[in-house]
Amino acid sequence: MMERLLESASQLFLLLLLSPLVTGVIRTLKARLQTRRGPGIFQPYRDLFKLFSKGMVIPETASWIFSATPWIVFFSTILAGLMIPMVAADAPLRLFGGVLAVIYLLGLGRFFLALAGLDSGSSFGGLGSSREMTISALAEPAMMMAIFTVAIGAGSTGLTEIAGAAIGQNWRFLAPAQMFAFAALALVLIAETGRIPVDNPDTHLELTMIHEAMILEYSGPYLALLEWAASIKQLVLMTLLINCFWPFGLQPTWFGFGAAQGIAWLVAKLLLISCAIVLIESVNAKKRLFRVPELLAVAFTLGSLALISTFLF
Amino acid sequence: MMHILDLQFGERIVTLMAALVLVLQIAMVAQRWIVLHIRIFAAQSFCLAMIAATIAWFNHAPHIYIAAALTLVVKVILVPILFERLMVKMEIHEEIEPFVNVPISVLIAGGLTLVGYVVAESFYKPDETGLGHNALAVAISLFLIGFFTMINRRKALTQVLALLSLENGLFLAAISLTYGMPLIVELGILFDVLVAAMVMGILVYRIRETFESMDVSLLRRLRG
Repeated sequence: MMERLLESASQLFLLLLLSPLVTGVIRTLKARLQTRRGPGIFQPYRDLFKLFSKGMVIPETASWIFSATPWIVFFSTILAGLMIPMVAADAPLRLFGGVLAVIYLLGLGRFFLALAGLDSGSSFGGLGSSREMTISALAEPAMMMAIFTVAIGAGSTGLTEIAGAAIGQNWRFLAPAQMFAFAALALVLIAETGRIPVDNPDTHLELTMIHEAMILEYSGPYLALLEWAASIKQLVLMTLLINCFWPFGLQPTWFGFGAAQGIAWLVAKLLLISCAIVLIESVNAKKRLFRVPELLAVAFTLGSLALISTFLF
Repeated sequence: MMHILDLQFGERIVTLMAALVLVLQIAMVAQRWIVLHIRIFAAQSFCLAMIAATIAWFNHAPHIYIAAALTLVVKVILVPILFERLMVKMEIHEEIEPFVNVPISVLIAGGLTLVGYVVAESFYKPDETGLGHNALAVAISLFLIGFFTMINRRKALTQVLALLSLENGLFLAAISLTYGMPLIVELGILFDVLVAAMVMGILVYRIRETFESMDVSLLRRLRG
């Protein structure tokens, strides 16, 4: 019992501390690639600190949904984060549910975010909500196909079992089904975290914004919670991707010398995937909104092929 | 024991590469820019050359190396350079406009892949322990998707590219089923491709000169 608590506490700590760092590293690397100096990798921490110590403005038209949303989004994301294997295959809250629970906890956060966008009464909010829902409705089937492929390989939808099956088969991701599923999930990751071919995370001064449009009316501590939740969600999805497909260095349990090794591997793999995201963001232009379904159709086709080829190969 | 291990390893490499070829083919269907289309074709041909080299290595069939090297030279280097030059000369900048929109084309490509697998399944004999019976399914899929892409495109240049990816499917089927046709046939096909690409290039250029456009639907009208 004590061990479980300790595990949960340490994973919570890791989620809260590591997620702004990932965002900061991506921003800095991107700036360097564009030959700018960039704000430094610790800027997201400073931003969060500043936002938490400020006052806030709440629109007159807003109902309780507007104030409840930041908390719901933040805590559902944290809960999802505690249900995935990060350092060890044994996820702290694994008895709570498997990969489907993780995805729908994130979905709950998104649902409330869309409601809050509508609730704030600004026309941008409604616009952002409708776009977010369109994209997530298209991204979800692709994600499900890829997830089911992985789950069939492991014989369970529990993430601990999936990660456990992946340990010791380090080259499994070279199998065609796994590769298709990986490609599909990587495209979904880009769409879900609002990265460049789909949404631009750097600005809220564009008419084409999606995530930023929904949280445009938020300020102060609420904005800080939402920003933090967004970077935790990004970390959760990235960790899910790397631990299901490249289980190198994933430990069977949290304790002992293994934990330090596990954290080192996790950080190295996160850095690698951040570099990939930076490259994709730098060489692509943002797609027009009506071109986004093309990208997600490719993801869906790859996901379906993955699922089909688990039976055929 | 070692030999069996080797063969299994070879099988995995061939399967992986075949999967990559299929992904690139679907990417080609989804692609709107002609330059990227040409480069994806080059990448696909490169994977194909790697498959041929792997099969040559594991089956100790040196003549397939020649086929692989020729694929590398002709399809990865010569044909893309030829097409990119043609693009520069004709100043093509516009996007590809397929008849069926891109998401549906991609889904159709996925469906055709399924058909390819079902057809290939009937050729598969469980007692046969050869390299790449998966490759046959991929080859049939490439073939079908190539046909579909040819029907789906308006512009002559992109139709030629689709024809070439279809030919990649043929090559893959040949090397995965028979471990290579006789070298003279391979040579014939490769030169055929090269000549076809050149003739098509000239033809595309002439179509463009005559009609001020590469849209082949204009060819229905007769002109004196």
